[in-house]
Amino acid sequence: MSHPAGAEHAEPASKLFIWVWIWLLLLTAVEVVLGYEQYPVKLMLTMLMSLSVIKAALIMAYFMHLRFEKLKLVLTLVPALVVILCLFSIFFFPDSLRLMNLGWGR
Amino acid sequence: MSDAEVRVEALGAGDWGGGSLPYAVGSKKFGMWLFIISDALTFSALLIAYGYVRLANKNWPEPFEFYPSLVTATVMTLCLLSSSLTMVMAVAARKREDRPATMKWLWATIAGGLAFLVLHANEWLKLIGEGMRPFSNPWGSPLFGASFFTLTGLHMFHVVTGVCFLGVVAVATGRGKFTSEDVEMSGLYWHFVDLVWMFIFPLVYVLSIHHG
Amino acid sequence: MGEPTHAVHVHHAPKGFIRKYIFSTDHKVIGIQYYFLALFSVVLGMLLSVLFRLHLAWPNANWDLLGKLFPTGMAGGLMTPEFYLSLVTMHGTLMVFFVLTTAPQSGFGNYFLPIQIGADDMAFPVLNMLSFWITFVALVVMVMALFATGGAPLSGWTAYPPLSALGKISGPGEGLGQTLWVISLAIFCVGSLLGALNFITTTLNLRAKGMTLLRMPLTVWAWFTTSILALLAFPVLLAGGILLVLDRVGGTSFFIPAGLVVNEQLVNHSGGSPLLWQHLFWFFGHPEVYIAILPGMGVASQLLSTFSRKPVFGYKAMFSAMLAIGFLGFFVWGHHMFISGMSPYSAVAFSLLTLAIGVPSAIKTFNWLGTLWQGKIQFTSAMLFAIGFVSLFVTGGVSGIFLGQTSLDLYLHDTYFVVGHFHMIMGVAALFGIFGATYYWFPKMFGRMLNEPLGKIHFWFTFIGVNAIFFPMHIMGVAGHPRRYSDASNFNYLSSMHPLHEFITVAAIVTATAQLFFLLNFFWSLWKGKKAEMNPWNATTLEWTVPSPPPHDNFGGKLPVVYHGAYEYSVPGAKQDFIMQDSPEKIIEAT
Repeated sequence: MSHPAGAEHAEPASKLFIWVWIWLLLLTAVEVVLGYEQYPVKLMLTMLMSLSVIKAALIMAYFMHLRFEKLKLVLTLVPALVVILCLFSIFFFPDSLRLMNLGWGR
Repeated sequence: MSDAEVRVEALGAGDWGGGSLPYAVGSKKFGMWLFIISDALTFSALLIAYGYVRLANKNWPEPFEFYPSLVTATVMTLCLLSSSLTMVMAVAARKREDRPATMKWLWATIAGGLAFLVLHANEWLKLIGEGMRPFSNPWGSPLFGASFFTLTGLHMFHVVTGVCFLGVVAVATGRGKFTSEDVEMSGLYWHFVDLVWMFIFPLVYVLSIHHG
Repeated sequence: MGEPTHAVHVHHAPKGFIRKYIFSTDHKVIGIQYYFLALFSVVLGMLLSVLFRLHLAWPNANWDLLGKLFPTGMAGGLMTPEFYLSLVTMHGTLMVFFVLTTAPQSGFGNYFLPIQIGADDMAFPVLNMLSFWITFVALVVMVMALFATGGAPLSGWTAYPPLSALGKISGPGEGLGQTLWVISLAIFCVGSLLGALNFITTTLNLRAKGMTLLRMPLTVWAWFTTSILALLAFPVLLAGGILLVLDRVGGTSFFIPAGLVVNEQLVNHSGGSPLLWQHLFWFFGHPEVYIAILPGMGVASQLLSTFSRKPVFGYKAMFSAMLAIGFLGFFVWGHHMFISGMSPYSAVAFSLLTLAIGVPSAIKTFNWLGTLWQGKIQFTSAMLFAIGFVSLFVTGGVSGIFLGQTSLDLYLHDTYFVVGHFHMIMGVAALFGIFGATYYWFPKMFGRMLNEPLGKIHFWFTFIGVNAIFFPMHIMGVAGHPRRYSDASNFNYLSSMHPLHEFITVAAIVTATAQLFFLLNFFWSLWKGKKAEMNPWNATTLEWTVPSPPPHDNFGGKLPVVYHGAYEYSVPGAKQDFIMQDSPEKIIEAT
């Protein structure tokens, strides 16, 4: 009664959540394999972060129920995070790279 | 709350027109989402800071062995992911008004969280035994230990808070208190803690494996 | 009215002094608690500023009385440079965090946001109480830092490392005092972000029937925008604070580079970067500037409209501009770092984005003027402060355009020009917003009117006073007077500017003394003021539909229904020159 969203959408079956869980485990397994094989750092970072973003999206969409909420809730919450993370990446790392090139960390 | 009912009744009046819930989501759930966004930014800032100092230091160590470090971390990931699954089950059970099942799944979730904590504490002790400190470590840049303890420490703090939170929810559910929204809200927090680990695991563990 | 009546149930006020006034969950009591917390902090902060102004004007004079009050900082009546710096640090910290962040947002916002949207309380009343008490603890810790052994913190309100991160080795005031300072700030972050999520949820979910987004008063828009900024900015400062505490207490070196020699000792740290703190701090710090000023913008819009008896000019443009300022506010933190050694490419981007904020700011200014244009202006004290706000906003904003350009900033950044600029815009402009709000809402909050003649005396002294204090600083800055120096009398090239220092100090003392008019008025009116009616200003928003002060649950258990926009003044065909938001009166000519 105090949960209006439930009235509009049928509650997804447990089977769906178990599948999501299996997918999350599989993606984790891929990460572990990457850790075992060891690729060049840039490639590793790209692959690992892509996998993490997919995992985070799965958790948010299914476990955290965002997939079954109204789209505008997603549009209210997610862009702020994405924009700020982009800002961090664009403006923090040039300074860090310069420190690396200066060799301050010995 | 009877005015909550009134607000839900008035839903048809246009989403933004007042007297209704624009997202069709109750205040508690929405408030928890806002908290999660805010907390996610704290973790993001810390992870970016970690990336920043790691990039700046050429002597950044990669001391972890595949076995046992990464294997332990993988088991810890398994614990958290499974506890998220049981949490989903708890929320679903509470929506069916099945309180005994809700409690069962909640306790299972707490068990997953506790298992994670035990493994994690054990790992901390091992690393401290090897000489890793926030201010120095035997392998290279002192910031390795600093960022490891900061990131995993803050995450561990969140797990501890989550376990206590879920404990309260489980006990209250058993006593016939707390609404379905309360359980769902605690679930959101728990999944968020899980989600943060999905970034700490690759960045802190997988990328610190010793080349060999 | 034919409308379905809302849930009729009266919340009874809690019994007992402690539940009612101390650990209250009533948003109105919490708002007043925040207000008094800010009042305490502003008096303390102002006294500190008068102290260091005395030193700047007469650096070699002997203040025997002060020497007895501060036996270490002013031994023998002479101020040490360290004591000067800690005074400046504590002045800045108290004012920015405990006055400008708490009073306009948490104070007035708490009290009036729920009433103005027609709700009986905030969405999370208990969390609201917790936010206040967390903030209170932060203030207690901050005041403790002032009296810490080894001296009060002295690294400025921005606490730049490496000095702030090193601990005792970097000199007096960098021991326990600085640690307490960082801890206080971390606590403050938690309280603020909890408050922010409460505000956002309340605004979105608890609006009364008919209170569409486009009928919300601009004050509500301002508090709402501010809350979004606080929700997204404070967690980043929290992260920075955690790292700084660890640097100080845990021996880590996030912000401390290798090979640093301080006080002739080689520091045993390596690998960190002070620039990282500046990024984290200013990522919070710039939105913080808007957290301080946006509520003032909302109040100014409300007051200008009410006392001109005219609708706000360009309502949609006004709240859009506010949202735009909030949004752009996240993209410009680097303009505080032009001389920090940050990548110059970033600086170009930050500079352009900073200048872009001039556009929504100008929209707001012209719309305020448009609101005044051909209005039937009533020069109440509240109105005077609102007009003063616009004036100071323009003065401070224009100098911001100077500073937003990298080439000019390189020269001006470490001079008094910057001190003048940010005091004008985020200091006194925001303060004028607080004063305006106080004169406007005092009758609603305490059920009594403030004395108008005293209010006007207060306004003129303060308005002329702050201009006399901060305007000369711009001139000194352009002439090259560096800021942060405790004593400029040893530098020949600055000696010609010394009379200005003396002038500023005299102006500061006069202005500070004039605040007694306000305090006197405030406390006298609290007990003896004229009883306030329900709607003394003939204003339209919902807080004026309830008794002064409002009952425990605001609307007596019957939530209002809203039919009108927030600023329907002088509507042709209406019975009076204003239409209350909840009045079912139909207008012939649609606006």
